Amino acid sequence: MMREALSRLRFFLTRREPNELDEELQFHIAQSVDANIAAGMSAVEARRQALLEFGGVERTREQCHEQRPGWWLGTVQQDVRYALRGFRRNVAFTVTVIATLTLGTGATTAVFSVVDRILFRPLPYAQDDRLVSVGLVQPMQRTEFTLGGFFFDWADNQKPFQRLTYETGYGDCNLTENNPVHLHCIHVAQNFLPTLGVVPSAGRNFTAEEDLPNGPAVAMISDGLWLSRFNRDPGAVNRTIQIDGHAARIVGVLPRDFEMPRLQEVDILRPAQIDRAEQNKVNSGIGYPLFAFARLKPGVSIAEAKAEMEPLFLRTQQWIPAELRKDFHLQVQSIRDRQMADFYRAAWVMLGAVLAVLLIACANVASLFSARGAARERELAVRSALGASRGRLIRQTLTEAVLLAIAGTAAGSALAEVLLRVFIAIAPTGMPFLGAARLDMRIVLFMVVLAFVSAGVFGILPAMERPRLTALGARQARSSRQVRVRRVLVVSQIALSVLLLAGASLLVKSFWMMEQQSLGMQTRNVVTVHVSQNGEPSAKETADFDLRVEAAFRQIPGVTAVGMSNSLPPGGPHAGSRYSELEAEGSAPTPAGTGGSVAWRSVTPDYFRALQIPILQGRNFSDEERGLDEHLAILSKDLAARLFPDGNAVGRHVMHELFNPYREAGPVYTIVGVAGRVKNGGLTGDDEPEFYELRTSVQPEMWDNHNVFLVESSLPVDALTPWVRARIAQIDGTAPVEIDTMKQVVSRLADRPRFETALLGFFAGCGLLMAVIGLYGVISFVAAQRTQEIGVRMALGATRADILRLIAGEGARLIVLGGLMGLGGALAGAQLLRSLLFNVGPHDPVAYGAVVVLLGAVSLAATLVPARAAMKVEPLEALRYE
Amino acid sequence: MPPSTDLLQGTLDLLILQTLVSRPMHGWGVAQRIQQVSKDVLQIGQGSLYPALHRLEYKGWISSDWRSSENNRRARYYALTAAGREKLETELETWKRLSAAIGLVLSPEASS
Repeated sequence: MMREALSRLRFFLTRREPNELDEELQFHIAQSVDANIAAGMSAVEARRQALLEFGGVERTREQCHEQRPGWWLGTVQQDVRYALRGFRRNVAFTVTVIATLTLGTGATTAVFSVVDRILFRPLPYAQDDRLVSVGLVQPMQRTEFTLGGFFFDWADNQKPFQRLTYETGYGDCNLTENNPVHLHCIHVAQNFLPTLGVVPSAGRNFTAEEDLPNGPAVAMISDGLWLSRFNRDPGAVNRTIQIDGHAARIVGVLPRDFEMPRLQEVDILRPAQIDRAEQNKVNSGIGYPLFAFARLKPGVSIAEAKAEMEPLFLRTQQWIPAELRKDFHLQVQSIRDRQMADFYRAAWVMLGAVLAVLLIACANVASLFSARGAARERELAVRSALGASRGRLIRQTLTEAVLLAIAGTAAGSALAEVLLRVFIAIAPTGMPFLGAARLDMRIVLFMVVLAFVSAGVFGILPAMERPRLTALGARQARSSRQVRVRRVLVVSQIALSVLLLAGASLLVKSFWMMEQQSLGMQTRNVVTVHVSQNGEPSAKETADFDLRVEAAFRQIPGVTAVGMSNSLPPGGPHAGSRYSELEAEGSAPTPAGTGGSVAWRSVTPDYFRALQIPILQGRNFSDEERGLDEHLAILSKDLAARLFPDGNAVGRHVMHELFNPYREAGPVYTIVGVAGRVKNGGLTGDDEPEFYELRTSVQPEMWDNHNVFLVESSLPVDALTPWVRARIAQIDGTAPVEIDTMKQVVSRLADRPRFETALLGFFAGCGLLMAVIGLYGVISFVAAQRTQEIGVRMALGATRADILRLIAGEGARLIVLGGLMGLGGALAGAQLLRSLLFNVGPHDPVAYGAVVVLLGAVSLAATLVPARAAMKVEPLEALRYE
Repeated sequence: MPPSTDLLQGTLDLLILQTLVSRPMHGWGVAQRIQQVSKDVLQIGQGSLYPALHRLEYKGWISSDWRSSENNRRARYYALTAAGREKLETELETWKRLSAAIGLVLSPEASS
């Protein structure tokens, strides 16, 4: 067998001289002639007989040729050449098929590559399916957190988990060595890494002793820090680094792919060193907030774990002040669900959209091949009559399909790469892992296979049927079935693209509403500056530092206002209070736990000037008041209307209750003014009423590390930035500074909706384009097929308008049918988009109207072009047709 | 192309291989020889002879080279290779079994 294969290979590789065979056959004839002469014939007769006996040379030659191994490869070459010639003759068909395949495979591959990272990526933990996040949720915080007082009680008594661990969520620190940098330090329990199943890539995890209160100062560093600071030197372990001015010894290095379960950035892990006893005293006796994670015991499901934890939760719940208790619930969910909560919906919508595009593309390819098959029926019949075997015909059509599939998928892969880069470029920063998304080769492969299969199947189908002799006579009987198939395909294409268009239209309208809404403040010409001081400065030190920075900023030429606040609208996190904790002078207290929450900002007078927030009643704080030891406040319009329904808030008083741990009287604020409404729940969230307290220089408890400066100036940002940096450097050269424009802050909030809108819009455009191509194809095919009929009708007196109606009516039926199906589907499915929409109902009439108009216009155009061509048919020519 | 199991083709291959056992021959010689030995019953037309020769050569059972013939013409001579010899043996074996079996079926004793 082996020898035979080798021999075949040898002959496959070496080419035999073509004239050798001729010589051999000539020899045969010559021998025959000799033999005939020897038998007594004349020379002429001998030659004649020999040739007669010999028969046709050509057939022998061909048969000998066909014996050659790899002979069929030659026919492939032939098929390829033939196919390419065919493509050149029919450029429109070729380009359409390749473009369809390119769009279909490219978009699908790119989106799958992204979505796969979001929905299906493995977490970098051992057996990540058994890791859960455990904690409380309440209306103001819907992802799980827990409290020190609760956690340790749970940890002592829990049964469903192999291990239970926590991180404190505490984040900022500064590396105070030669190049001071702002880092993310996270404090974790000693068993944090073992619970996640993470093994340090160098050094070791913390020991139990290191996690005791006042234990040794140790740290684990991230791979990124290991690289940037120590160039991955294994000797970095046991070195000391300066964190916030204190020495800490590095005991280990985190693996390269390490990430926190809540996905926050991490440069340094430190042992939390929590004092358990203290947790029952601080923060009204319930302890500091923690984030708990656990590894389920084998065989325990998440639901079982939650059920087993419920009694523990109910016991610890008693420690929460009674007024708030019922707001809190226990929640256990997988870490993956916690990470992706907000993105699941968007990811599924994207996936659905791209599948619709893929289906439309497949329908288009099928439709195009079917049309081509019908057009070539006669050609196939002729070739068959000339002796081409069925296998040969199938091979020929398959070659064409495969060639198109190769071109389409190659272009599709390139498109996917481009699209992926575009996605990454326009994706919101908060979208996890998108930056790391790569073209997934498995998906590329899948798309290639899919393209080959669909092109192959649709390409072969017409060739599978034995070409009938009647096809040589060319009447269209069989084509009518194909037209039916293509009509079904076109209707479903239109329906699918309407579905996509409706989704895109809703998102576009929602995005437009969001961009158009008034923020209640100006964002131009305002720069925000975050300065974080090193170490752990006291409130007094913070106040001094911030006041010096403020004074320094005021001296920058062109600066018109320098405001301070502890948080920024419209999106960022901000302090808050419960509405029920505010007690207006002269009215009964609101029942505890009702009224929702109130945004709380501690600001200076220039805050309102810099952001140009209008003061509607009363006045702004004055600069003199900053030096007084008084509690002054400005209420937002909404809050003033709720606290003082009579409309006279100015000059009245509001008491802010404290829970310590039980309700007690707090500071009493005098209201000096009422400010206009400002967006403060993100671009799409509901606005909260807002309470502005004046930040005075004499009340140090109002100062902390969250200060942000708002600098309004007539200078362009690029010119202002070096001034700002220089001024801060004069005060503290080691303090890290972050500068942003207010515009960027706002625009970043719109990143995600912009991303979703752009994406769905792109898909809807692709879908519509392909559906229109399909529609155009069917209508022009039908028109061409009915040329003769048109001729007869016109000969019998039909006007050109009748013909136009005839053909356009055909298209209109398909459009209406597909459009109605699509609209029905969209109306039913739009609920899925609800959470992505802002100020737009899922059944917004304008959005759907836009879809109908767009679809109607584009598809009517696709119908009218071939219909007009049919209308111009000359009756005489049409009757002579064929 | 998969090897054909066609009886006729297989038989022709067997005849050619058997003919080449004694000495290398050119195509015409092979045809003449088969005709002669079979007492003119088997006449091999060139249309089947040459494709068969080529096929056998491609399979490596026979090899060919150009020599001058008995009357000084340039002719292509085919010779059995070692692989061909083995092939011939197994084919002969099969053929004998087959013809014996057919003979048994066709013999008058069997039908009685």
